[in-house]
Amino acid sequence: MTMPVMRGRVAFIFDEMNFDVDQIVGVKNIKITDVAELAQVAMQAYDPDFAKSVRPGDLLVGADNFGYGHPHYPPMKAMRHLGVTGVIAESFSPGYWRGEVSMGFPQVSCPGILGFVRRWDEIEVDWAAGVVRNHTQGTEIPFEPLPQADAEMIEAGGLVPFLKRQAAQQREQKDHAHVPGI
Amino acid sequence: MGYTITEKILARAAGLPAVRAGQDIKAKPDFVLAYDFPGYTDVYFKTMKEDFGIERVAEPERFGIFIDHMVPTATAKEEELHINTRTWCAENNVPLFERHGIGHQVAAEVGYATPGAFVVHFDGHVSQLGTFGTLAIGLRRNVMEAFVSDTVSIRVPDTVRVNLRGSLRPGVMARDVFHHLVRRLGPSSCRFQVLELGGPSVAAMSTEGLQTITGLAMFTGALTAIVNPDPVRLDYALPRARKKLKPVSSDPDAQYSAVHDIDLSDLEPIVVVPPTPADTRDLTEFLGLEINAGYLGSCASGRLEDLRAAAKVLEGRRVKTGVSLHIVPTSQELMAAAAREGLVSTLVEAGAFVSSPSCDYCFGRIATMTAGQRAVSTGTLNVRGRMGSPDSEIYLCNAAVVAASAIEGRIADPRPYL
Repeated sequence: MTMPVMRGRVAFIFDEMNFDVDQIVGVKNIKITDVAELAQVAMQAYDPDFAKSVRPGDLLVGADNFGYGHPHYPPMKAMRHLGVTGVIAESFSPGYWRGEVSMGFPQVSCPGILGFVRRWDEIEVDWAAGVVRNHTQGTEIPFEPLPQADAEMIEAGGLVPFLKRQAAQQREQKDHAHVPGI
Repeated sequence: MGYTITEKILARAAGLPAVRAGQDIKAKPDFVLAYDFPGYTDVYFKTMKEDFGIERVAEPERFGIFIDHMVPTATAKEEELHINTRTWCAENNVPLFERHGIGHQVAAEVGYATPGAFVVHFDGHVSQLGTFGTLAIGLRRNVMEAFVSDTVSIRVPDTVRVNLRGSLRPGVMARDVFHHLVRRLGPSSCRFQVLELGGPSVAAMSTEGLQTITGLAMFTGALTAIVNPDPVRLDYALPRARKKLKPVSSDPDAQYSAVHDIDLSDLEPIVVVPPTPADTRDLTEFLGLEINAGYLGSCASGRLEDLRAAAKVLEGRRVKTGVSLHIVPTSQELMAAAAREGLVSTLVEAGAFVSSPSCDYCFGRIATMTAGQRAVSTGTLNVRGRMGSPDSEIYLCNAAVVAASAIEGRIADPRPYL
């Protein structure tokens, strides 16, 4: 079991505090369920060429309290469809955090990240060392360790696989407990 | 060093002698609540069966399901969702509360707000059970863990303590207290923490007012809010409680990550300006702004003190022609009480459209606004598109401001009417 690789370019920096992620696709598009269609409308208000310039593996960077408001799932579904592998922000709003972690989408809380990267820098999250590395600038910065359940959920690839793994472990423990002599 | 009420409740729920903020635990919720909504309950029911082989929940009395959205239904598909919910509850012997009112309020009325209990839901506004010393957390999709296993995996949160002193002046309500907290402390001040209300003025505050404040806690970033239960709250909650638990309170030497003091007598009516619950301003800055609609209701506001405030403003007056004022009491119990008090007739005679309890006004499913329209609202939220078109606007404010604005057709100060 390993944490997902997070190495890529900084595809966009949302420098607005309390950023409402619904703005990524626009509220008028929030009910679109087709992910390819969502990906097409994503980021129109910020960078109309975003879908063309983003590459698989790229990452997003956010400011303080990223995801505040009443976050829905379609914006980050669109981002994942475009190949984005995670979000690194100064800090996160808990509702957004829980929602995306439950989708198995890595979120990294890293105070100082805004001043640490420029758009299109090549960066990497080193889970084991607990740092974000900026390969373009040759620097590194520590991030906040994930709560245990969040780390396990991201590792498992989301809520349902996490719960299945947990259920299997609990069954195993029970079975062991019932074996006489152990 | 003492423990917070949150640490005490979670220690018991985790079956541990003690827990501290920052500790990762598995805690067994005393109650698991949800309202039926597409993509939520229907998915839990299906996942339980298909992915986890759970045909029946082991302890149905730990669950509570509410039908409060899409009430009444507007499409056959919505009715099918409700049928699916009714069937699941019947098969599982799980209590179902349909058309009793907005679930977070009904949960208190029917005893899920057991002091000392740990409650989970997917919706964060369940935090309002904290009024009664109940730790109630909205987990979003993760509440599924409580449907497929006994426990939920969580980190024991830190607590921000807010001490209230002084008393509110006329025209200033619990809504203003909450929005003032967002302004003073900031929209991320309580991130991943519990907002604990205390101080000399809490005992004098109405239970309804505390439900308003605790129910909106998420907009400070808090996971939930809680009040150490006092005799008034215990008198309400204990006779209704669904479980015998010892109420607990924070120790005097409990450790808080921050302590703030708020003097209620300093507060003025507030409006929260679209499109974010973070933009909290003085009402006086926005007086005169034209409105098309007013909404008094929601799980946050729409209780007797809100209805009384609106009735006081509207008594003997008329809602301005062309303004639609929707007044939706939070529960059937409250609506019946309002009718007995004569509030309903006062509101109706003033031209308000008074409807039975439903969540549907708060998120624009009905009374939907079109582009360019503007509402004053006691709903929970003012983000774009919340009550209809993304190009309509919602100014959140207290019930008296909604009523005064409906009379004038523009954002108005209620104090001259009181």
